[in-house]
Amino acid sequence: MKAFIGKRAISSVISLVGLIIMVFFLSRLTGDPTALYLPLDASIESRELFRELHGLNDSIWLQFWNYVQDIARLDFGDSIRRSRPALEVVLEAFPWTLLLAFITMILVTFFAVLIGSLAAFRAGGVFDRFTSTFSLIGSSAPDFWVAIVAIVIFAVQLRWLPTSGTGTIWHWILPITVLFIRPFGLILQVVRGSMISVLSSAYIKTARAKGVKTRPIIFVHALRNAMLPVITVIGDQAAAMLNGAVVVETIFGFPGIGKLMIDSILQRDFTVILAAIMVTALAIFIMNLLIDLAYTLLDPRIRY
Amino acid sequence: MRNLNSCLIGAALVTMTAMPVMAQDRNVTIVLGEEVDVVDPCMSSRSNVGRVILHNVSETLTELGDQGDGLMPRLATAWEPVDEDTWRFTLRPDVQFSDGTAFDAEDVIYSIERTNSDQIVCDNSAKYFGGLEVSMEAIDDLTVEITTSPAQPILPLLLSGVTVVPTGTDASAFITEPVGTGPYIFSEWNIGQNIILTRNDNYWGETPEVESATYVFRSDAAVAAAMVETGEADIVPSMSVLDATNPATDFSYPNSETFFLRIDTDVAPLNDRRVREALNLAIDREAFQGTILAEGVIPATQIVPPSTLGWNPDLQVWPYDPERARALLEEARADGVDVDTEINLIGRSNNFPNVTEVMEVMLAMIQDAGFNASLRMYDVSEWEDFYSKPFAGDRGPQLVAAQHDNAKGDPVFTMFFKYHSEGLQGAVWDDRLDSLIDQATAATGDEREALWREAFRVVGEEIITDIPMFHMVGFARVSARINFQPTIATNSELQLAQITFN
Repeated sequence: MKAFIGKRAISSVISLVGLIIMVFFLSRLTGDPTALYLPLDASIESRELFRELHGLNDSIWLQFWNYVQDIARLDFGDSIRRSRPALEVVLEAFPWTLLLAFITMILVTFFAVLIGSLAAFRAGGVFDRFTSTFSLIGSSAPDFWVAIVAIVIFAVQLRWLPTSGTGTIWHWILPITVLFIRPFGLILQVVRGSMISVLSSAYIKTARAKGVKTRPIIFVHALRNAMLPVITVIGDQAAAMLNGAVVVETIFGFPGIGKLMIDSILQRDFTVILAAIMVTALAIFIMNLLIDLAYTLLDPRIRY
Repeated sequence: MRNLNSCLIGAALVTMTAMPVMAQDRNVTIVLGEEVDVVDPCMSSRSNVGRVILHNVSETLTELGDQGDGLMPRLATAWEPVDEDTWRFTLRPDVQFSDGTAFDAEDVIYSIERTNSDQIVCDNSAKYFGGLEVSMEAIDDLTVEITTSPAQPILPLLLSGVTVVPTGTDASAFITEPVGTGPYIFSEWNIGQNIILTRNDNYWGETPEVESATYVFRSDAAVAAAMVETGEADIVPSMSVLDATNPATDFSYPNSETFFLRIDTDVAPLNDRRVREALNLAIDREAFQGTILAEGVIPATQIVPPSTLGWNPDLQVWPYDPERARALLEEARADGVDVDTEINLIGRSNNFPNVTEVMEVMLAMIQDAGFNASLRMYDVSEWEDFYSKPFAGDRGPQLVAAQHDNAKGDPVFTMFFKYHSEGLQGAVWDDRLDSLIDQATAATGDEREALWREAFRVVGEEIITDIPMFHMVGFARVSARINFQPTIATNSELQLAQITFN
């Protein structure tokens, strides 16, 4: 196991280094942040001073070398836009996204597994058809549209919930609901498919023949074996959320990492882009590792 | 079922009592379109920083009135020229910063020095102090003399853009807890979520009605507008025309931006005046009003608003005359001008709502008049490469679409940048115009006004350097429970002291 973790760590570090090199050079190809930071009628002296203070007058290779040296000291530099340490800016935003993703994925997993398993048990029945239709609609509904419609109905018309923002538990309901719908539909479909295949296997038939009740058949005997492909999809969906639920964060005014990354790209805030990539990459690496460990727990035949 | 009903009723009651964002008496919530990422007073010329800080937390020596009142006293009670390059300012007595220290001449000197420091790049310096050397002397606690090189006849106006901070404020980095002399104290900054200002009970002026203000950030304008509708917020100072659907709460105001296309007068066929005139005659300006632009936009003759000193009333809006445009083009062709060269319209994405549609319509009108033209829309940083010097040598004929904001009332913030040969964004090279701009910049009083007026005539009539389009409008939503009239100043500030309650 230790060897496996070591190997995964090394391959992740290699990917990360590749990513940093790519992002560093690509982001600098997109233009000079001076134009975006200073007013259009800023004087030439101010533009020069800005470039000087942020090292933008240096050659790109020198900038890269300085950056590599700083990273080695875990110094990500100051945000060009915010004049504060880039890592501090990223670590302020990341917990919001982490919490949003965590709560949503817990709810998605619970409901998708429960409803998907029940639907699979009577495949083709009314409940199955209803959930399949609902999950297909859910997994294909654009989240910006769902978000706006949800605000209009629940905040503007019914006045049950706040439109957006943070502050109370009520502020979390709409963003989580909107984020919930798509992965719920997707994972429910995977659970259903996987369960149908497992429920038709010989050992389930044996269990039924021996008179085991329905509930233990679904949730004890079948579900455990059906969970392997589900865990993979859950991992993919969670990784996508850790990169930031950009649309939901933007519409609901959530100060998460997705919105921060988009803003930083638009503002050419290079240090924040790179710090955000490092932090999310680390989080995704840890999550993938946990998923691999979950495989071994679910299926003891899997060994690393 | 009874249990379910109880749960639902309970949940509804909790919902109704637990929504603290609801605006309360004497407190207001203001929704800004993007997160305020710096709060240093020296960045107050940036729109959203200004809306939080300017004249709420930090004040300036002078203040430009937004109702045509000219320059008004703020922290300075009087000012006068001592000689050609020196101004004397008399400061307001008995003023305190919110940290309890007294305001005096040293603070003014320190603030101007900090704004122009080479340790930080302040927007306020970049915008107003380029190429200006400043030396200062405190004559006594409440008198300061400021000398500039070259002489700056509108120094009092420039100082309406310099916020005053206490001596000793960190000059090597932006501050995150601004201290000022204004009617409000910067109390809380929950990064990414909100900024809270509370009333300063030791303020030197009248006590405003608003007790505290919370600024929140929503980049989706429809959500921002909905917040006022639901009572979660009171003011959205800037939103899209598409969301301004309620005449009772939505107001349009001149946002001080002027939309125009800059003509590159150096490159054929645009170096021929007839071609530049034909371009102006090809545009049907009326067609945009109330269709893809707001009803309230005003056709422009110059790139500064009419309230600007020296704005030339003799210049007329170009009529729509495609026949005459075609005739001028043929005239130029007959004289050997290569009028078939493709002209590139360069637009800036997201510059204002519907900008792409506006540019496409302009392209169609220009093509209809017989021009060979194409359109390219660019992200702001790429667009800036076309807009600011140095220009590419092989750029070809270009019309660069831009918005220009000059709400300061004096053309000096416009003319050198846009029309001087050495101006960063000038695409006209004319010795006479250069000399006019130089003279007007150094002149005062009536002479200054006359010189600017002549400069605008040369630009708009004699040379024809632009296709002036519209003085634009912004839209604000204001809750019915408060009185607040958005004005041209709302683009750069939002004085809480001007808000009263119904």
